[in-house]
Amino acid sequence: MLFPTLAFGVFFLFVYFTAWSLDRENGRRKLFLLLASWFFYAQWDWRFVALLIFSAVLNWGVGALIARAREQDGKTAWLVGLGGAANLLILGFFKYYGFFIEQAGDLLMRFGWERDLPLLQIVLPVGISFFTFQGISYVVDVHRGKTPPAKSLLDVMLLMSFFPHLVAGPIVRASDLLPQFDRAPRLTRAMATHGLLLIVWGLFKKTVIASELSVNLVDPVFFDPSAYGAFDIAAAVYGYAVQIYCDFSAYSDMAIGIAALLGYSFPRNFDQPYRASSMQSFWRRWHISLSSWLRDYLYVPLGGGRKGLAASCINVFITMVLGGLWHGAAWTFLAWGALHGGVQVIERLGRAVFGDRKVIPTVIGVLVTFHIVCLGWILFRAETFELAMAMLQGLGRIGPVTALTPLLLTLIVGGLAMHWLPSRAIEGVAERLKAAPSITLGLLIGAAFLLIEAVRPDGVAPFIYFQF
Amino acid sequence: MNDHRDPPEIPLEPFPVHPQESPFPPLYESLPPGPADPHSDWNQNADAHDLPTRENRLAALGRFAFPPAPPLDDEGIAARDRRWTSRTIVVVTAFLLVFNAVSPLNWSRQQAPSWLQGTVQQMSEVWVGQLAVFGVDIPRQGAREVWMALREARFVGQEPAPPAP
Repeated sequence: MLFPTLAFGVFFLFVYFTAWSLDRENGRRKLFLLLASWFFYAQWDWRFVALLIFSAVLNWGVGALIARAREQDGKTAWLVGLGGAANLLILGFFKYYGFFIEQAGDLLMRFGWERDLPLLQIVLPVGISFFTFQGISYVVDVHRGKTPPAKSLLDVMLLMSFFPHLVAGPIVRASDLLPQFDRAPRLTRAMATHGLLLIVWGLFKKTVIASELSVNLVDPVFFDPSAYGAFDIAAAVYGYAVQIYCDFSAYSDMAIGIAALLGYSFPRNFDQPYRASSMQSFWRRWHISLSSWLRDYLYVPLGGGRKGLAASCINVFITMVLGGLWHGAAWTFLAWGALHGGVQVIERLGRAVFGDRKVIPTVIGVLVTFHIVCLGWILFRAETFELAMAMLQGLGRIGPVTALTPLLLTLIVGGLAMHWLPSRAIEGVAERLKAAPSITLGLLIGAAFLLIEAVRPDGVAPFIYFQF
Repeated sequence: MNDHRDPPEIPLEPFPVHPQESPFPPLYESLPPGPADPHSDWNQNADAHDLPTRENRLAALGRFAFPPAPPLDDEGIAARDRRWTSRTIVVVTAFLLVFNAVSPLNWSRQQAPSWLQGTVQQMSEVWVGQLAVFGVDIPRQGAREVWMALREARFVGQEPAPPAP
């Protein structure tokens, strides 16, 4: 069940009115939201609801054991290791088993030790990377004392299963959401207006910009780059940069908006990433919940920047490579992570030499960073290195423009230009609209929905980040 | 009986010589002295008009027909905001049911045949047909036509768009 579908609209209306009718009974409200979330997840594959329940029970149990061990002897490190390893085992089995078995088979064949390894056709549960990372963050935060253990299993289950963020984030941490579960939520006009605007804006970005670019430009060009000239290939690369931003940030916007209408607040996940003037700045603006997760639960435990420049560079490189692997079990993702990590290492070395002096003008920094990011997107989008190389080679092949049209060019330019809007534009509009009568706002939002519905292509492609 | 006292030699016996205990409380004067009064807080400069007086509810009404309600508490404000949001969502839903009525029909045509799909399709067809009489599908159709024209536009010298299937 995808957000921009009629089925989800009906589902959400039912959840909204039922949840608020249980306003005075927070426990029953949470139970209802949990059941609704399981129903939502079961629309993909009902069998994986059991995995979701198992993962929640596992993390809740480890959290409770950590709390008990702290009261008794204070030794909780092994429990954190156990919890983290169990979570990674689940993730590794479903996401990386096939990849590693294939690589091991290739390696054995090269040495002449060919074996029939047990290849399994494992279906990847949607959103497994997201809820597994949430589970790890819960266990580690309880260990660090950043969040108290959940008061009930229901809270942990809802934390991990809550349908707005379940399949594609943002990665909402226990310290963000558990305190909100403690009390019956409140809904203010500001939250509601903001939520509705985010849903409309997300719907526009996904169903109009991302879908149009994907179907008419990016997919055909990436499918067969040899059939296109340099202009089309460059447009496809820029188009993919806009498409993936509009696709993923749209999901985050809609998730935040839907949660807001149910009375819960999620953290921001994007902050105009293509106006970043360095790769470090890019990762502070792109998929913020993942980058901050990697920082807190991987980079810092590795030692962070505490052990000198060399160690800091190694740690950031390892973090980014593993971040690339998180996106998928493929060498292209590893290369994408290595590219981002490598550029960040260069930036650190540059800062070590030049200090905080501004060596490169901001405009140049933005342009360079954006094009490195685009280079990374080629690796990210291409399924193989050969295809990525064909795209790069095609950039030198002058030919007629066949795929790019005035509308697609407008969408690319518009998708990039939205990064230079005021950084809190939606919040600003929401502040003005929250005083409007409900019928006025309803008609405005309805007209916006109608316009989007009129121009969107038939059907809707799954969000790109569902596969991660 | 006369005005003279009885002569003292007349013995009182056999009448009682001790007075009986009075059924009434003792006289104030006969009580032992109690603790001293506390220090007086009398303020010579105080004005009796400064003291709070009991409000006359009828007088307080003044020109109002009834007293104004007390201000909303947090719970009241939250409930009001919730109602406002729900009304907004209902307006959006109603608006789309009228002006975007074709959406459920399109959805039903994309589903596998079933009782639900068939029911939704039949109801949607009737609904869309009835609303088309009033021309409520014109805004959506007009926006779509503009969009399709934009999609088919090409740069100068570029081959025209292939005909739609």
